[in-house]
Formats: sequence, C-alpha cells, structure tokens
Amino acid sequence: MNRRSWVRLDNASNIFLAARSDVDTKVFRLSAEMDEPVDPGILQEALDATFERFPLYHAVLRRGVFWYYLQDSDLRPRVEPERGPTCAPLYQAGRLGLLFRVMHHRRRIILEVFHALSDGTGGLWFLTDLLTEYAQRTLSAAASSVPGDSATDPAPGPSGTVPPAPEIASFSPYELEPDSFAHYFRRRRRRSGRSSRFADAFASAAAPAPLGLQGLSPSPSADARADGSGTGTGSDAGTGHPRRIHRVRGTRTPDLRTRAIELTMPTSALLSESKASGASPTMFLTALFLDAVRASSGGLGARRTLSASVPVNLRQFFPSTSARNFFATIRIAHTFDARPGSPADEPGAISRSLEAEFRPQANARALAPKVARFIRVERSPLLRIVPRPLKDLVLGWVNARENRRLSVAVSNLGRVVLPEPAASQVGRVLFQVSAVRPQFCAISHGEDFTVTFTSPFTQTDHVREFVRSLTDRGVPVRVAAARVTEHELQEVAG
Amino acid sequence: MRRCAACAAGIEGEWDRCPLCGAQLFGHPSPDPLPSVPLRFSRRRLLRILVLVSLALIALSFVVQLWLGHRPSQFGAERSVWLGVCTMWLVTLMAVRGRRHLARGTLQLVVVISLVCTYWDYLTGWNSWSLSFAVPIVCACAIVALAILEQTVRHEAGEHVVYGSLTAGLGIVPIVFLLLGWVTTPIPSAICVAVALLTLAMLFVERGGEMRHEFGKRLHL
Repeated sequence: MNRRSWVRLDNASNIFLAARSDVDTKVFRLSAEMDEPVDPGILQEALDATFERFPLYHAVLRRGVFWYYLQDSDLRPRVEPERGPTCAPLYQAGRLGLLFRVMHHRRRIILEVFHALSDGTGGLWFLTDLLTEYAQRTLSAAASSVPGDSATDPAPGPSGTVPPAPEIASFSPYELEPDSFAHYFRRRRRRSGRSSRFADAFASAAAPAPLGLQGLSPSPSADARADGSGTGTGSDAGTGHPRRIHRVRGTRTPDLRTRAIELTMPTSALLSESKASGASPTMFLTALFLDAVRASSGGLGARRTLSASVPVNLRQFFPSTSARNFFATIRIAHTFDARPGSPADEPGAISRSLEAEFRPQANARALAPKVARFIRVERSPLLRIVPRPLKDLVLGWVNARENRRLSVAVSNLGRVVLPEPAASQVGRVLFQVSAVRPQFCAISHGEDFTVTFTSPFTQTDHVREFVRSLTDRGVPVRVAAARVTEHELQEVAG
Repeated sequence: MRRCAACAAGIEGEWDRCPLCGAQLFGHPSPDPLPSVPLRFSRRRLLRILVLVSLALIALSFVVQLWLGHRPSQFGAERSVWLGVCTMWLVTLMAVRGRRHLARGTLQLVVVISLVCTYWDYLTGWNSWSLSFAVPIVCACAIVALAILEQTVRHEAGEHVVYGSLTAGLGIVPIVFLLLGWVTTPIPSAICVAVALLTLAMLFVERGGEMRHEFGKRLHL
C-alpha cells in the first residue's frame, strides 16, 4: 500500500482556509499573453513536463484532527479552455482535487492557484517554467523539419522573476541530489529509491517557508522594496491607526463572481510618473487608488481614513527556496482632510506620505521579529493541541477583525524577466486575486505594465477614477473588463 | 480597439459602452481577451440552509420527546411515526452527505443509528433491545460492509484502514454491555465483538505500519 508523503499546513496558510468564502475564494490568477493563439496540445505537454518538477503542485489538501495537511497525490492536471469566472473556487472541503488549474483562452495561458498552497512568487515560478516549456515546444513544432532538435529537453530554471527563482523550482525528482536542495530545510532521514526521494522532495517543497530558514540572517543584498508577492492576507506588520477606517461598500455581483478589470499601460510612462511623484510605483499606484476611492465615494463622511494592506515578499530579505506562502503584509493609511483641495491630499503628496510610512516597515530588521514570531507560533505547544475546527473559528474571527481595519488591498509582483525563448513569445503578464474588498494586483513584463482590479462588487467607479487619473497624466491605458452583470452579458448574447 | 472619449482610454473587446463610465464607444472592436461566462447560480447555499433547518428540526423533535415522557404507556403510535420520520430523514441526510467518503459515512451512520436506537429504547421504557440487538448488529454489519467496500470500491489510500479500524474499535464496545449485564440476549454482542477483534487483528497484522502512518498523520500535533 502506498504511504503518501504529507506535511501539515502552517498557520499562515491556515488563514486562507478560515477566511475562504463564496465571495472570496482565496484563489489567485497569473496569466500570460502569447504572440499566437495557444495550442492546447502543446500546452498540455508543457504542463506535464513542468508538473514533474514541482512536487508541491502534486498536493491535495486534507483535514486532520488538529491540522490541515498537504498530501502527495497521483492526480494529473488537465489543460482546459477557460469556461468559468475568474478565480473560481479550487478547494472544497471533503473533495480531493489539485490546488491549481491551467487554462487557455485565445492567446492567453492562465494559471490559477489556491492561496493556501503558494503565494504569488511561488506561482510565478511555476508559470515561468510552464511558459518556457511551452515556448520551447512551439519553436520545436515550427522547426519540426530540423532533425535532432533539442527543444524538448527539460527547461532551465526560471531565471528572471523578482526575486530570482531558486533551484527548487527547476529540479527534477529523477535527478535529485538530496544535498543540493535539502540544505535550506530541516534535516530529514535519508532514504533510498526514487519514490522516497520524491517523497523527500514533496516534504521539502511543502514545508512552511519560515521553518526552512537557517536562522534569521537577512540576505546581504536585501533592500527595502515595495514589491509584494502575497495577495493581501497575512500577518499585519502595520502600526496602529486609531481613526475609523472607511470601508468600501457596493452591490455584490449576481452569482458572487469576482469583478475583474485589467488595465494595461506602458511601463516607461508609469515609471516616469511615479519617479516624478517621488515614490515607488507601488506607493504611487496606491495613492491613486486611495484618491480614486475617495473621488468615487460621493463623500467620505466621518470615516476619512483609507487604509491599504500591502504584502511584502519576505524572500527578498530572508533567502528561501520555498514556494509556500512567505510574505508579510504592511498596513498603510491616509486620512483625507475634510476641506476639499488640501495640498496634502494631492496624489503626489499621498504617495510620498505612504512611502514614508511604508519604507521603515519594509526592511529585514523590522520584519525579522515577525518571522521569529511566526516560527514561535508554529511551534507553540498550546496552539498545537487546539483542534482544527476551533483554529478555523479563531482564524476566521482574526481575519474578520483585520478586514474591518482595511479599505483596500494592493499587491505588486514587480517586473517579470522570462528566459528565452519565452520572453520573446510573451506579451503582457497579468496578475489578479479573488477579493473581499476592492483590490489591485500589478505586474510588468517588458514594456507592458498591468494593473488588474478585482472586487466583489459590480461598481466600477473607483477604477474609472483611477484610469482618468492616469490618462490625465498622459499615461495611455487600455481597459479589458470581464462581464459580470446580466445586462453586460446580454449585450454579447444579443 | 474601441475608445472611450470620456475616460481617454482604449477598451478591449466588443463593448458598445464603456464598462467604467457607460459612455458610447467609438472605433472598431477588438477580440475580447476575456471570455463572457454566463451567470451560474449555485444551489449549494440553498442546500446548506435546508440541511441546517432539517437538523435543527430533528434535534428539536428528539429533545421534545423527553418532555412527553418515557414510559411505554406514554409512547403511542403517533410518537413512533414522528420519531421514525425524523430518524429516516436524519439517516438520509447523513447518507447523502457521506456519499463521497463511504468508509467515513458508514462509521458516522453506525454512531448515529446506535445513539438513536438507544434513545428510542429509553423513551419506550428501556427494554434493552437497543444494546442487545440493534447496536451489535449495526456494528457487525458495518464491519462486514466496510470489508466488502474495500474489495469493490476504489478508495483513497489510508481511508479504509482508518475508518475500518475505528468501526472495528466501535464493534468491541458491546463487550461492555456483556460484562455489565445490560443485554437480554448475549449472542449478537458476542458475535459483534468476535468479528471486531478478528478484523482488528487482521488489520494490525497485515497493515499495522499503514495504520500507524495514517493515525500519526491525522492526529499529528
């Protein structure tokens, strides 16, 4: 009888299960637009090859008495045409299924991942490998008359994501040298044979990221950067904001699907605007977002403070090869003056003030206690003996409390640098996440910078104001919106 | 690509009006990068509400029985039918809920049926028919059913060994009934305990390592 490898789910990932709902499925999506319509057959081959190299993605989620756990499975992913709404549920209690899906629509390759499995950076490693495999195979198909073509060889590891993808993303279980990957992780009993090496690979890949750190020594190259890799939930490193927080309200979409609106703009134009404002692109865009929410709110009333959660990729400070969730969120806020036209409420001034609030919190020294606390919580004997349903209740309550302190969420995965031949075949890359509140996710590839707004509400007023802020500044914007209301869908049906 | 003059932005896809401001668009449409997905209404929420209401009514019915007395003279045909309908509805709900995990569903059914029978026995004046017949027969049948299931239905690794051993463990409980003299006829309990011990012994001998692995995983602290 096959004894499957398993690793218990850490508390940080548990919160995604506790906070999951019909509205917020805790699924994130990464997609890439190719230069030609996607060939499903080639994509399936690329997926099969990539899947072999990512033991973590073999996992299904199961429930134990005290913990959820990730367990290795024999399931194989199938490439499917995109037929459902964005970020549709991936995990349903009691049903065993893979925690990711790969789809295609016209020129797009789409990867959706359940957030308890991995964060944005981890998902990007998988997508990078998938795109590289796909690009190599399409090249090979185009030049199929050439004998001895080597395009079907395993791809090199993704080399240019931010931060650079580690070796674990590109190893093959068949070529695994235990020492080559295990040095970052807990010592494990050595066993021989392919299946046990695969089991070791699974256990290592699925281990919680902070528990794999060798002490809390920051990376020598670590520098404060506002690029987030998580998508809005995590432990809050923010300072207390005593004022009452404005919360965005709206009409839920008819079947509770996520409203997604994609904005595409030239990277250079956006960077020059953010540079002119004196803030990083993430803070500049966040400032525009907060201002857009204010402008579309019809008056903030007594609740004049808008707060945003910004996830920070901890890998840039604490080198880790784990594709599991490894981020912290920082909360930043701005209080709008009751008098209209205050200079402090100009988007440029807001972005500088947000930057000044964010920067001291986004460095290794400020974040190290958080990671240490995380490890302490993971190893706390008291928390270990709490039954899982009770943990879910407590984490659900913690999450609901956090939600009341947030107006919006933002996440920026930064610049993606794909290896060749993928780089030349991929146009824009997009990133989005299911949302319990208005949120945007940003990512850039080459000269395409994309900002995807997601929301549980049908209203698009804040996106309109955001787009107009950009176009008023001379940044050209393209908008692509998914239809969510009956009226919008009737337009194409009729 | 169409354009919205009010937003000064290009609009991808076949929108007639700007999805942001509703203004009329101009220019030629471009292929939509996002599919138009028809609305889907899940019945899951409705079913969840129905199940919760059903469970609340069933629980209320069982509690109300206590107030109506528990002597044979007080337990007429109406109450039998009432309790019977509630029990049948409860068993149906549990069977539907456990249809994807047959081994776990079987164990849950054994527990619920045993408890309901014992309660029913108490309400009708305690003749010990539940502990003498119902509980041991249900347990023994469940152990045999799980053995048949393992041979006939594809199941997730470890699932059978966990729920099989838990059901067999439950099958040993009638030994307490025997020792304390709670039964009027000892044969069903004796057979149940024998079947349970035999099953447990076979599981230990043949799949002891797997049992330790599965229980270690599920009870991991």
